[in-house]
Amino acid sequence: MSSIESVYLLMLTTGLLGGFGHCSGMCGPVVAAYSLGLGERRLITHLLYNLGRITTYCILGGIAGMTGSFVSLAGSISNLQNIVIAVTGGAMIVMGLGIATRLRLTGRKGEVSVNRLNSLVLRGMKSISETRGIGVYYPMGLILGFIPCGLLYTVLIAAAGAGAASDSRIEGLLRGTAMLFLFGLGTLPALFLIGQLTVLAGEKLKSMFYRVSGGLMILTGIVFIFRAVR
Amino acid sequence: MTVPCVCAKEHAHASPVSDGSRCDFQYGACAKNISNLEVTLDIAPKPVKAMKELLFSVVVKGGKRYDSLVLDLTMPGMYMGANKVILKRSADGIYTGKGIIPKCPSGKKFWSASIDFPGKGSVEFFFDVVY
Repeated sequence: MSSIESVYLLMLTTGLLGGFGHCSGMCGPVVAAYSLGLGERRLITHLLYNLGRITTYCILGGIAGMTGSFVSLAGSISNLQNIVIAVTGGAMIVMGLGIATRLRLTGRKGEVSVNRLNSLVLRGMKSISETRGIGVYYPMGLILGFIPCGLLYTVLIAAAGAGAASDSRIEGLLRGTAMLFLFGLGTLPALFLIGQLTVLAGEKLKSMFYRVSGGLMILTGIVFIFRAVR
Repeated sequence: MTVPCVCAKEHAHASPVSDGSRCDFQYGACAKNISNLEVTLDIAPKPVKAMKELLFSVVVKGGKRYDSLVLDLTMPGMYMGANKVILKRSADGIYTGKGIIPKCPSGKKFWSASIDFPGKGSVEFFFDVVY
């Protein structure tokens, strides 16, 4: 196996290993948040979300590979990352409040009914639920692909290194893109599983699960906002 | 195989520190012994920050000469992927290489730099970075 092939294999295994460890803890709550109440459209939803996320990884990998510099890439996207994580945190708090207080999202079978209405939460929930058509998940994945992640940084450092060692910028771009694509592909099974398990648990355990999930989402949202402003 | 760490404010005058195995690269180099080798690691520039290009310098006293060494950066308790820095031996016998320590959004700053010496084992330096 050549060194280039072994790097690609390393990226895939890094994604797989990181997916079931690192990503499950760091990004699992985000996946769980959007998975609640998906019902029958969960398969296509997860695919679109992950496709969006992997697309962003590929773009970042391509830039890192083409420029051969991780530091300049990280510097140029840090403000965007802070905005993404703050907005995600805010959305998770709103969704968590809605779910914990048992607001109906879209009225599908299996979802719990409204028993408490908070006008601010309701407005937030409405705005989120109204945009929860299938088409929203790919762009959502694109945006959430920017969530700051140490594991992603490590892979981007490797992509920048591979780019710096390439003969041309085009070769660096292609290598960086391929590396991040394989990394993203590797993380897919774990995040897909989290999404599926969330949907199943939500259907089986209903109200108790929704309340616990809502609480966890609020907590995660607060942590995300804290990270953004820190 | 890991051994107690010794740290110092000057690269050439590494001395033991009281906190056992944790190095403080914000102040100076850190030395460890393995078999008949004395391995001193330093990281620059200081303060040692995450997300910045860093220069890792290793001085090895005793034993045979290596063409290059591999420094493996890991975060204890958190899988962060393979982050290896190739340290090339320069004319003055110092092994140097550039690398980057990523920032963990969880806020953890505790890292490990492990250097493998074929046939002898590895030395591991534990340290904190600045965000």
